[in-house]
Amino acid sequence: MLPSVAVALLLSGCYSREDMNAGGEATRPETEETTAPAPNDSKPAPTTAEAPEQGSAAGPLAQASIFLEVSGSMEGFMPKASGAENTRFQQHAAQFLSDLNRSTAVQRKSYFRIKEKPYADSYQQLSQTVRSGIQQPASSTDIPSVLDTLVSRYYAPNSVSVLISDFIYSPKNAGAIPYISTDVTDALNRAGRSDLAVSVYGYTSDFRGAFYPALKTAVKKINPCCDTDIPYYFWVVGPADAVRRFDALLLERQPAQQAHFGVKYPTPASSLLNRFQNVGSWYYGEKDASKRTAGASYHTVAVSKVSAQEPVEFVVGLDLKTLPALYRDVNYLKPNLQLQAQDTDAKIVSVFAATDQTKNSSGAENLYTHFVKVRVTRLGKAARPLQLTLNDQRPGWIGQWTTKNDSNINQAGAKTFALSSLLDGVAAVTTGEQEQAPVFRIPLTLQPAD
Amino acid sequence: MKGFFRFLYELIGSPQPPSETPVYREVIFPNVGLLTLGLSLALVLIFYYLINRAMGVATFNKVRHWVIFLVISAVLSFLIGIWQANSQAVASHSYIYWMSTWNAILGMVWFFLFSIILKRGSTNASTTPF
Repeated sequence: MLPSVAVALLLSGCYSREDMNAGGEATRPETEETTAPAPNDSKPAPTTAEAPEQGSAAGPLAQASIFLEVSGSMEGFMPKASGAENTRFQQHAAQFLSDLNRSTAVQRKSYFRIKEKPYADSYQQLSQTVRSGIQQPASSTDIPSVLDTLVSRYYAPNSVSVLISDFIYSPKNAGAIPYISTDVTDALNRAGRSDLAVSVYGYTSDFRGAFYPALKTAVKKINPCCDTDIPYYFWVVGPADAVRRFDALLLERQPAQQAHFGVKYPTPASSLLNRFQNVGSWYYGEKDASKRTAGASYHTVAVSKVSAQEPVEFVVGLDLKTLPALYRDVNYLKPNLQLQAQDTDAKIVSVFAATDQTKNSSGAENLYTHFVKVRVTRLGKAARPLQLTLNDQRPGWIGQWTTKNDSNINQAGAKTFALSSLLDGVAAVTTGEQEQAPVFRIPLTLQPAD
Repeated sequence: MKGFFRFLYELIGSPQPPSETPVYREVIFPNVGLLTLGLSLALVLIFYYLINRAMGVATFNKVRHWVIFLVISAVLSFLIGIWQANSQAVASHSYIYWMSTWNAILGMVWFFLFSIILKRGSTNASTTPF
């Protein structure tokens, strides 16, 4: 019959989305019906082969070496068992060692006590030392030489070294204090590792024993000590990729202060969101935006109308799950997320984390952990790049945890002598000559609508 | 062709909400446009060639009968607009109804144009509507 053939021919030429996400069931029967009379319809099947998601080295880490400093200054964290309560350090370190020992994501684990040099231990021995206290304290260990040992002898691809210490570095005399950062830089640089990365996790613990200040001008030791908590640190040293994975596996569970040097992170997943707090006349500028493929991401803003009276606001969703807690903290993101743009006044108006509402939403916003809202009232005559950058800024806690004089630690509080100088030394190695690389960069495009 | 339908359907203004513009331009306008054209053509063929030629019905060739088909064309065109917008799951907005109303008008226009072109081939209704 002629009319029905004509309809069928017209129908077969219809456009349809290749992939329906929600609410697609209503249309699917129609598309199937309409394609039936036209078998030469060369539309590809909706099962588009997804690119296999694969990390560069997704397997387990080859090795993790744990170095526990057991000098006299660490005794206060690990007092000899006297029936009294254990310290938070003991609790935490024992837990960490146990987690690591159990972990299947690290193939080989080795344990060392650091005296004047590393002594191999078993898990049981080291855990016992943590629990029941240091039996034979070593004389003070020199941080630069320990770091030197780690990078020259224990550095291997896909492996990390973890140094657990109070990181109180006491130079031989007061004249050496200005060279602390240089000493650390030289120590880490000696082996010439180009992909060296260091993650620093800072904790505090109660402390019951003799405290040996770095500055011995006033007193050699404070005993008993301390009324204040004392900081201790886990330094994860190794190739950038291994450090990142080790952090994510074992150190992100506990709340901690953290700083990362030379660790590189994959660019987090991101997308513009056109149905989430959007304001004004704009739409996705991508050519295939109409297909609305499930899980597709969009980075082009096409603005059809904008003025000071009718601003355009768009939200970029970011999935920061793969980043360490430091970079997921909204308080860190707010000052350090920046927008680079040309010919426009686009600026970030707010940064906020996902809420239960966004997580349970049926919209695309449920894929993202953080949101950046950008407002525009003016834009260029053609497409212009817009770049969302997270700067790698030294976190504020480092300054707060640093003291120039720890000889009266009870008054100074939970601080470490010359911590920021130590970390300056680390930063000098990992950043090299070039400028500090941002944590991530997300390219967007801002263009007038056609 | 997408450009033609985009022009045609944006005579009443840009799609609303603006965020749905790509779906309207790339999917809904071409779909609705083609379906409406096909529908109008089919109705014209049914009226002039099926009823008034092949079936030889002699009492269904007046202007009022043609108007019944014109109204059917308008109503179905309106429904095509609503149906396509809903099946593409665009954000709900009163624009869907404006667009569908506009499509009803276009449906009548197509029906009229096809009538003028094709009426000569009919045996009983070659002078309907005029």
